[in-house]
Amino acid sequence: MEYNTLSLLEHVDLVKTGKVTSEELTKYYISKCKEMEKYNAVLEIFDDATSNAKAMDEKIKNGFKGALAGIPVIIKDNILYKGKKCTCSSKFLENYVAQYNATVVEKLLDAGAIIIGRANMDEFAMGSSTENSAFGVTHNAVNFDCVAGGSSGGSAVAVAGGMCPLSLGTDTGGSVRQPCAINGIVGIKPTYGRVSRYGVIAFASSLEQVGPMTKTVKDNAYALQVLAGHSKFDETSSNREVPSYIEEIEKPIAGLKICVLKEVEEAVKGLDTEKSYRNTKQILSSLGAEIVEMSMPDFSLSLPCYYVIAPAEATSNLGRFDGIKYSRRSENAKNVDEIYTKSRTEGFGDEVKRRIMLGNFVLSSGFFDAYYNKAKAVQQKLKDSAKEIFEKCDAILLPTTAGGAFKIGAKTDPVSMYKEDLFTIIANILGVPAITLPAGKTEDNMPLGVQILGREFDEATVYRIANAIEGERRKA
Amino acid sequence: MEKIDIAEVKRLASLSALEFDEKSLEKFVGDFENILNMVGEIQKCDTSKVEIKRACHDFDELRDDEAKEGISQEEVLLNSPKSRKGCFAVPQMLEE
Repeated sequence: MEYNTLSLLEHVDLVKTGKVTSEELTKYYISKCKEMEKYNAVLEIFDDATSNAKAMDEKIKNGFKGALAGIPVIIKDNILYKGKKCTCSSKFLENYVAQYNATVVEKLLDAGAIIIGRANMDEFAMGSSTENSAFGVTHNAVNFDCVAGGSSGGSAVAVAGGMCPLSLGTDTGGSVRQPCAINGIVGIKPTYGRVSRYGVIAFASSLEQVGPMTKTVKDNAYALQVLAGHSKFDETSSNREVPSYIEEIEKPIAGLKICVLKEVEEAVKGLDTEKSYRNTKQILSSLGAEIVEMSMPDFSLSLPCYYVIAPAEATSNLGRFDGIKYSRRSENAKNVDEIYTKSRTEGFGDEVKRRIMLGNFVLSSGFFDAYYNKAKAVQQKLKDSAKEIFEKCDAILLPTTAGGAFKIGAKTDPVSMYKEDLFTIIANILGVPAITLPAGKTEDNMPLGVQILGREFDEATVYRIANAIEGERRKA
Repeated sequence: MEKIDIAEVKRLASLSALEFDEKSLEKFVGDFENILNMVGEIQKCDTSKVEIKRACHDFDELRDDEAKEGISQEEVLLNSPKSRKGCFAVPQMLEE
């Protein structure tokens, strides 16, 4: 049986009813990873996956009923899994071995998941194509010549290419949603604080969240249910109760108010994404949702705002990589200063260096007010406009990307790459939840997505709307 | 718009503990200027009436500061490229 045509929930059901064992599923997906090796989505298949699956089968026989009992999962290479390498796809951390589990890993394991491997990514999650990995480019699941998107490109291709039914990515400016969209799958960036960041190697701490990547909206809601919640090791994780995301997911969306932004209505004109965005608007209307046009005048500033705040945080977070404590030390260093400089110069790729430099620029005296403080003020202004919108509306509809996946090597200029995240960054700047789901294809038959953004901690409504759109698209 | 020159980029490189050879410096200056042009857009935004609020919402509860078992010294040092007698080892810094 080709399990990779099934949804995550169907996998859960098959294991629960004893129609398949975890060992069978794990072996099946490991063989899929090997078959698809040339896509370079998975950096390592863990050698204890099958034995863990066997042990899980025993547990299941003895009555264990975890939400993900026996399900193979792949995690992004910046999430710590004790005893396993975690490299952030960087030469700097090539030999780094996690000494503890990330909270999300603990939650996956508690739910009975079998973590079968780690997925390729842009180095330190900086990029939108997974071309910035020190371990090679990941290829798009739909068109081998195109990029996977990024930074969670490996995780997206792992699900879209049928190498696992669920993967984890991280999203700092669109790194879950953009690769999901251009590989034709579903991914969410939860509300900031909904999922613990403990054990996730930090890039921009005030913006990032871990998010599940799946084939369907319901699968995604089911997976977030496992991951969400407070962790005592991350005080920015919220202790608000996690509602049941599945319970209300089928509830009709008639009467919900969905905002479209005037600025986005203008911006999508002529873009590849225009048709799928407008189609989705029609689907929402046909389901009885009320489309409300509102304005967020500074929407386009979310991108420059992000490229001040994120590098500022990155430069601080990456300061710990000094050639002394973690993994790499330059063999050419003769003294302590050279250990710092040479280890970093040899260990980091160009994009990481650019962002460290940019971060130091915006934080340095003379520029701090004009850049960092200004960006924080712009962020607040955007939050203030969003507050007004969410007082009237239940959600915001946005495209996920301007177009489909581009050819590998086609974007060499950093700024044009940064613009890949034009429509996704706003959710990180606001801290609100945002899901992407498939919404059509380009003329070249490449997948496109749309996003639903919701109020803080209102993932339930986001899932409900996304599920309704998905249902209508299936009928068509 | 900020103009950036090679001397400024060298200063930033030194702050960042990074080195660039002359050829990559030139490319870097060009890319960096383009990026600064893009991020400079925020200067046009009127933020005079904006009141920056605390970033976090319900994160008021801090846990008690108690000493607890964490990962061991040995585990911490496992990822160090060089360690000796339970410490991170670096080349000699002080003259004898």
